[in-house]
Amino acid sequence: MSAMDPTEVFRQEASELFEVLEGALLDLGQRPDDRELVDSAFRALHTIKGSGAMFGFDKVASFTHEFETAFDRVRKGEIKPTQELISVALAAKDYIRALIEDPQSTDDIIGEAILDDLRRFVSSDQPSAPAAEIAEAPPLAPSASRQAGWHLYIEFESHILRNGSNPLDLLEDLCKLGPCFVVPVTDGIPFLDELDPEDCYLKWDVKLHAACDKDAIDDVFMFVQDEMKLTLSPLEQVEAPAPMPLFQLLDEEPVVAEMAAPVVEVAVAPVAVQPAATTEPKAEVAAESKREAATARSQEAKQERGIATVRVQAERLDELMDRVGELVIAQARLTQLASTGSDLSIKMIAEEIERLASSLRDTTMGARMVPIGSLFGRFRRLVHDLSRDLSKPVEFVTSGEDTELDKTMIECLADPLVHLIRNAIDHGIEDTATRAANGKTEQGRIELAAVHSGAQVLVTVKDNGGGLNTARIRAKAEEQGLIAAGAVLSDHEIHQFLFHPGFSTAQTISALSGRGVGMDVVKRTIENMRGSIDLATRPGQGTIVTLRLPLTLAIIEGLLIRVGEGRYIIPLSAVEECIELTAEDERSRGRNFLNVRGNLVPFLRLREIMTASGMPDRHQKTIIISTGETHVGLVADQIIGNHQTVIKSLSKLHSDVTIFSGATILGDGTAALILDVAQLVALAQSKVEKQHISEAA
Amino acid sequence: MALNPTEPKWSLRLPADCSIAAIRNVYDLVREAFGRQERLEIDCSSVDKADVTSIQLLLSTARTGEAQGRPVVLTSFSQSLRNTLRRAGFASEAMIDRHFPQKKDGT
Repeated sequence: MSAMDPTEVFRQEASELFEVLEGALLDLGQRPDDRELVDSAFRALHTIKGSGAMFGFDKVASFTHEFETAFDRVRKGEIKPTQELISVALAAKDYIRALIEDPQSTDDIIGEAILDDLRRFVSSDQPSAPAAEIAEAPPLAPSASRQAGWHLYIEFESHILRNGSNPLDLLEDLCKLGPCFVVPVTDGIPFLDELDPEDCYLKWDVKLHAACDKDAIDDVFMFVQDEMKLTLSPLEQVEAPAPMPLFQLLDEEPVVAEMAAPVVEVAVAPVAVQPAATTEPKAEVAAESKREAATARSQEAKQERGIATVRVQAERLDELMDRVGELVIAQARLTQLASTGSDLSIKMIAEEIERLASSLRDTTMGARMVPIGSLFGRFRRLVHDLSRDLSKPVEFVTSGEDTELDKTMIECLADPLVHLIRNAIDHGIEDTATRAANGKTEQGRIELAAVHSGAQVLVTVKDNGGGLNTARIRAKAEEQGLIAAGAVLSDHEIHQFLFHPGFSTAQTISALSGRGVGMDVVKRTIENMRGSIDLATRPGQGTIVTLRLPLTLAIIEGLLIRVGEGRYIIPLSAVEECIELTAEDERSRGRNFLNVRGNLVPFLRLREIMTASGMPDRHQKTIIISTGETHVGLVADQIIGNHQTVIKSLSKLHSDVTIFSGATILGDGTAALILDVAQLVALAQSKVEKQHISEAA
Repeated sequence: MALNPTEPKWSLRLPADCSIAAIRNVYDLVREAFGRQERLEIDCSSVDKADVTSIQLLLSTARTGEAQGRPVVLTSFSQSLRNTLRRAGFASEAMIDRHFPQKKDGT
């Protein structure tokens, strides 16, 4: 077990922080008055800066510092974040990311240009006071004719230093509010044996001789407010010491004075408390106590959450899943062995191991599950940028972010979704003039949603654009010879041509108002994930693309069948029903259609496809499988039953055998191939088409 | 705690980086040096990067030495270390002396 490279840990943490930062900035574009978003963005920035400095990313630290400084007026509420400002801030975020992930690709000139833009935007609506004054001047209480001040007792959580926060910077910021008298409290420092050198043990007792607003103090600690205890009480009005440099002031032997007012521990969250000149009213104390209790509860909850999660390398989870897969296979062999013997105790043990293996499999698969929201966050930026570049205002709405999918699925899903969303904005959503002419709102809308549906997850990309132009798609399909002129096809069948390789070219897309570029690639990717893709559209109202995905790629529920001597697995999620091949169907040899409750369903004889030897079983079984709305029957000799299928990849030698998507090991140690449902359906469809053509001829 | 200048001493020069990025290594060095029987002298003249963790380590070392009756002498505080101490509120020489009673400058 090797420890993770600390730099890599920083990169991972930074990556998460970038998502938070980007999300907050994008939301800020929609809700410019939301202070929590500003705070959230700043906390992320601050942590990136601190951690960057700690791990030696000096450029990151210095650029982020400049970014923070420039953005400070937004934090102070002096200016509102405009779309232009958000765009530059996003560019700054991208630059920091590049500094961390690929520093070679960055150029200082670009960084400077971004900062210049940022500074220009934040100073563009400068009020009368010069920026320097605004930055320096702490907000003063209006009635403070004489300096009063605050008594602070500052205690950080022990881990504060590890996340890059520097208490000394905070003390320095505090001292900018006014003359400060800082006394370090060293009581908590343990002996060497008990010392964790990265923990924070020092505390500080500070007297701030400035009649500043409490909010000004809150601002100093805003990034660490959840990781500290701040005891704050107003100082009695005293003669303020003459302003003098901090260090000069502190060169006196400090004396901790008696506190004049009752000490109340408060959260650093912004609360309107004016520094009282003498004593605090009881009601305020009670209110503060409530807040204190709430803070304590929130901190407790946070601590609980803190110890409830642990960061694990993704490779280790993959390794664990592999081991569990092996265990499931071994358990299946044991179960089979036990079933052939008569020893009851072995059977009991086999059952117990089966139960444990099943539970372990579920737990392991659960540990690999990642909320799809982590993926959705990325597209907000995509929509924002496309919306800006294409001058199409688009509202991006997501739902079902908590829906969980295997992490491998999440990784594989990113590219297809980028493609679908880009298509939806580029070609689905009309320009503002067209929308207005059609009586639609100026702002288009893209909805990205995820929802559980049985053992599958449905991910939908919905737009309220112009919808697919079915007539144009049909015309193009006829032009390309994909269908005979005048052939009777449903709209749904016509839309499937969009997934046809080579159907869409750039020119075709604009001519067809849209769909299709790379949709074949999207479809292939989704099918490689054992999923399916479906389109639904209404002219003038929009299009919905639905992706149906299995929860995991590692272990699936399968239906084990026998064809000749070979055994095969059909993913259970694709199985609609199993029926017996009737004598009438048998006689239909050559036509290959089943009559299923009045519907004609094409079927494939797996014995022919697998070139099985020997005589077929007397009573052939048909398994009806489906992808989307297309149904196909697969004729097999025997349906053996359900099977927990641990998916193994095929070797390179078999990679071009398209009708198999993988293999698995059965209980008796033999291998079974997993049928690729999408390929089999495509095969059946091509046979049907050939049959049509030969009949027509 | 009185010092006996004739007692054999073990001198440890702290590295330039005593910030949190390197503090664990520095901690190991100090502990290793502390394990020796000789009087321990810690030379702080090379410290170029210091932060709260460096201060805490020095305080803990001084405190442990005090408690065990082992003289630990801190010598030649670098300017960087001094600045960090000041920023943390150890503002006056008197205050630093109080927390590091065995400090010797310029030796």
